[in-house]
Amino acid sequence: MAVAHEFKYYRPTRLKEALDLLSSLHDEARLLAGGTDLAVYIKEGLVQPRHVLDIKHIRELEKIKVQADGLFIGANATFSDILDNASIKKSYLLLWEAARSVASVGIRNRATLVGNICSAVPSLDSAPTLLCYEAVVQLMSSKGERTVPISKWFLAPRKTAARPDEIVLGVSLNKPAEKHAGCYLKLGRYEGEDLAQAGLGVLMNDKQEVKLAWCAVGPVPTRSLQIEKLLRGKALTPALIRKSKALVPSEISPITDIRSSQAYRIHMCQIMLERGLQACADRLSGKKVDTLKILGG
Amino acid sequence: MSRYKFVGKDEIRIDGREKVSGAAIYADDIDFGPNLLYAEIVSSTQAHANIKKIDTKAAEKVEGVYMVFTGKDFPYKFGLYMKDRFIFAQDKVRFVGEQVAAVIGRTPQAAKKGAQLVKIEYEPLPAVTDQMVALGKNSVLLHPELGEYPHVPWFFPKAGTNIAHWRKTRKGDLEKGFQEADLVFEDEYHVPRYAHCAIETHVAIGKYDLSGRLTVWSSSQSPHTQRHLFAEALSPMGLTHKNIRVIAPHVGGGFGGKAGVTMEIIPAALATKLPGYAVKLRWTREQEFVNTYQRLGVVAKLKVGVKKDGTITALDHKIYWDAGAYVEYGANVVNAVGLSAIGPYRIPNVSIDSVCVYTNLPPGGAYRGFGYSEMLFGLESHMTRIAHKLGMDEVQFRLKNAIREGDSTAYGAEMNPSGLKECIEKVAKEIEWGRKHKSKDPRKAIGKGFAIFWKAPAMPPNASSSAFLKFNEDGSINLIISGMDIGQGYQTVMAQIAAEILSVPPSKIRVETPDTDRNPYEWQTVASHITWGSGNAVKRAALDAREQILSLVERVFCISKDQLYLEDEAVKCTTRKNFFLPLKDFVVNGIMTGDGTYKGGPINARGMFLPEFSSANSDPETSQGGHPNVHYTVGAGALILEIDRETGKMHVLKAVEAIDAGQAINPDLIRGQITGGLLQGLATVLYEDMRYDKNGKLLNPNFTDYKIPTAMDVPDEIVPIIVEVPQPDGPFGARGIGEHTMLPAAPMIANAVEDALGIRVKDMPITAEKVAMTLLNKTAARRKKTK
Amino acid sequence: MAKLTLTLNNELRSVEVKPNEILLDVLRDKLGVKSPKCGCDRGDCGACAVLLDGRSVRSCLIFAIEVEGQSVITLEGISRPKLTKLQETFIGMNSFQCGYCTPGMIISATELLEKNPHPSREEIQEALSGNLCRCTGYTPIFNAILAATKRGRK
Repeated sequence: MAVAHEFKYYRPTRLKEALDLLSSLHDEARLLAGGTDLAVYIKEGLVQPRHVLDIKHIRELEKIKVQADGLFIGANATFSDILDNASIKKSYLLLWEAARSVASVGIRNRATLVGNICSAVPSLDSAPTLLCYEAVVQLMSSKGERTVPISKWFLAPRKTAARPDEIVLGVSLNKPAEKHAGCYLKLGRYEGEDLAQAGLGVLMNDKQEVKLAWCAVGPVPTRSLQIEKLLRGKALTPALIRKSKALVPSEISPITDIRSSQAYRIHMCQIMLERGLQACADRLSGKKVDTLKILGG
Repeated sequence: MSRYKFVGKDEIRIDGREKVSGAAIYADDIDFGPNLLYAEIVSSTQAHANIKKIDTKAAEKVEGVYMVFTGKDFPYKFGLYMKDRFIFAQDKVRFVGEQVAAVIGRTPQAAKKGAQLVKIEYEPLPAVTDQMVALGKNSVLLHPELGEYPHVPWFFPKAGTNIAHWRKTRKGDLEKGFQEADLVFEDEYHVPRYAHCAIETHVAIGKYDLSGRLTVWSSSQSPHTQRHLFAEALSPMGLTHKNIRVIAPHVGGGFGGKAGVTMEIIPAALATKLPGYAVKLRWTREQEFVNTYQRLGVVAKLKVGVKKDGTITALDHKIYWDAGAYVEYGANVVNAVGLSAIGPYRIPNVSIDSVCVYTNLPPGGAYRGFGYSEMLFGLESHMTRIAHKLGMDEVQFRLKNAIREGDSTAYGAEMNPSGLKECIEKVAKEIEWGRKHKSKDPRKAIGKGFAIFWKAPAMPPNASSSAFLKFNEDGSINLIISGMDIGQGYQTVMAQIAAEILSVPPSKIRVETPDTDRNPYEWQTVASHITWGSGNAVKRAALDAREQILSLVERVFCISKDQLYLEDEAVKCTTRKNFFLPLKDFVVNGIMTGDGTYKGGPINARGMFLPEFSSANSDPETSQGGHPNVHYTVGAGALILEIDRETGKMHVLKAVEAIDAGQAINPDLIRGQITGGLLQGLATVLYEDMRYDKNGKLLNPNFTDYKIPTAMDVPDEIVPIIVEVPQPDGPFGARGIGEHTMLPAAPMIANAVEDALGIRVKDMPITAEKVAMTLLNKTAARRKKTK
Repeated sequence: MAKLTLTLNNELRSVEVKPNEILLDVLRDKLGVKSPKCGCDRGDCGACAVLLDGRSVRSCLIFAIEVEGQSVITLEGISRPKLTKLQETFIGMNSFQCGYCTPGMIISATELLEKNPHPSREEIQEALSGNLCRCTGYTPIFNAILAATKRGRK
């Protein structure tokens, strides 16, 4: 498809160069990493930036750093980079599963996790995961660096806490408690690639502490603190699961759209909660669970 | 052991090397050099409105914009069966997405920029997007001039209404039939619209050269029909068939969407105003969704009477079609089903009303199955439910009532030979009908669904095919035909037919995509008629070549033709074992005789086929009297469906489909049609559908929200079964099967869902959400009751 | 206009492009490589897949100017000097119909087999899930890939 809109393209190789450019161009510039969203937006006329800064060649922007106490996902790390990283699959399975649920190989080879959180669409798959890991977003502008906890990152649909002159350097995640299990459940219309109609990240440790976070069932991805509180320190009995399911409608605020009705989303979130908790408990006890098959189909 | 050497064999496709190497040329792949112009279409944003004013000034000023055209430049009508469409909207638009203006640019960017600047002022009119509302007395009229539109003689438009065609079929005594019945069962079924979703969107390039000749390259199932419709529509400009040439390269999927003429008329017409240039129009995916044919939506009201022993006594089938803003092709879908809505059953007393209704939605048209999928969803759901009400096994019920050879169809013609009973029995056996399955997962239920189907090609009685065949010096053959290989394997199958007659292997037969100036006439590649119709023409061309070859050998060698035959690419003789004359030695250069002179010369043959027994003449009130359908292809399908009771998510564990191909020319390609067609059918029932808002705007014009199946969405197992009860007038007994493979999918799922969960869904699609919510509501209602 | 230099099917090529030109269009219209097809223009269908530095990407979602200095392989490049075992198996097993999605399918399957020479059916399904095919029902494609890997590739 021909793109009628014209823009100037920059390819900075140093961070300072990029930040200087960004502060001089203000909000007329858009950053380009994988481009899987931006190219569509530009083609379809949804955004019309006068300047496009390709950040893929900035030397200081790292990809993935695995440390003893945590993980850093740099701005140019693609979902495929995450999937190909054996340490992530071993120690951050929830993140790995969320990455696998994003679109398809040809998109994941290009799309970055940071780009995903910058798009801030309500259905973004990486959000529940990052919320569960209590990730911190690291930003930089020519004025300096700052961090934003992921819980304060998403302000509204397609709106984040980033300022126009900032570049996201990456997100850092703390390594969860030694013995833990996680899973990401995604509701789609079929088994193939789809935007989440509901997404649930579950992270559970052996002290019966659970973290839960949703996407696609509210304007921004959110933690489920009420349910977490209810579950804390208790054995996962059918009665407890029933109680926690009953809290779901008050924890989420889904809409009816072309992809799903509000009623089905609420119903499915309850099912996902039950099955997600069970899957994590099973994983904690050493059982193998295929999350792709958990919801049926 | 097959009687044949090439027919009935799993031959490797002759277009494989081209397609798998990337060499195959599709319409958008052709280079036209720097004189290529690009058209960008400005589309209607309104479902129904008068056009007050079109301001093109700003667009014309854009650098690189060459010209801007609107409806006033082309005040011409076109259409296949009814002339109810304009090349561009004239004073009125009738659906969102209708073409209103075209901006011609030297680059695609310029054209696009220009198109964004064309301003159209509308005066909105009330829009009607529901066929049942459009039928009402007070509905707004889409075509007040309906009474003046030219149409084929078998259409019956009702001027002053939105009814573009009403096919009535009456047989026996309906009231008596219902009186004889022990059980009369009525219900209503709904089917939404669907999109073809060929991965290649429509594209066409028109070039009007300075000598006055128009050439159109198009991604098409119908090059000759396109040439004819272009000639009709553009005749005011002095164009005739002789001066129009349509070249159809490889097609990236058709499914009916590239039959007839839709957007191709636009570059054809634009070119006539741009002499010396080529002008390209390629639909974006969104335009593909909103401005090509769509599968029609249906509301079907069914009433069936049966005796206690399961005999069907009467059927009253009323089908109301949401046919869209223009029905020049879609009305024939309505017609076809109006003749065949008894399904593959013997029913003595019948009333069918198939009503084609104009709505302010995009034009309906051909879609793989041509209306039968829509009709069979209701009919085959209903048949299962009736069998259950009688306490009868539904497979036995179907076997008891299945139509047989010689039975009278609803319009009084005789049913052709068919293997319907064999199909039903083989499917039932393969799916272990009657055996209950239990899922290993306690949250899941397993159900089985069964359905049978039939479909006839819907064609004018004089739809014809033809073939040229020429030999080359090495004994290879060029088979020159005008059907389209839209993926089904047409070229390979035609080569196999010629190969069988001439003993030349298919790998030595080249079949090219057609050019109407060079290739002989073919009506269209639609209706699953091409194996049968074009196959007959090819067979006749091959027989003509054989006759020429044997006559020449008889003349030169003084051996009676009766003793000569072709084998191993040579002429052989039954009485002289040593006689062996390789074809390559003489099929171009002739045979040298004793005195050094040559006899014969290049072998060039031809064949033609037109079903001379077919007629569309019949009583408009009953449809009795004609022979509108050449034959029916029948089959049966069944599947095992696993359903998660809580999430509603469904997974097909096994699907079986049997189809009576008459004679499989290439069994592997038939298995390929079943595998692909069945998945396309399953998608229509499990998740696809077109969603419109109340203003007639399509809400899901992309693959992000119109979900077509991916590699993750296939059944665990598909078992294709080929049944062969020969079609007496088919080539080697063959009949078409391409569309039929989709037909049983929707009712099979509906029936399996009921079998598994006890709920009956009567509106397509049957999504996971619908299943889960129906179950939830049922449980809630039951709880309320017990309280 | 800026000069773009890339390695296309193992040949160094240069072409003048504007920043808003899409890689798919530049490959097809300016570099004469026609196997990548346009099917949806928004990354949903995979018909435009090419290998960029060895990894499959959607050429409809990349501005041509982004690939400066990189290597692009299309089906034309895979088909030279001769068709691969995988391609021969596609032909031998009639694992295509209209052929329009085939270039993208071969690209995705080629990438898969580079990483995983003996994939299971499930792994093939996942790897191809971004390549839409409306004709075949996919099963013949899975079968070709399974058959090609059984016999040993290359």
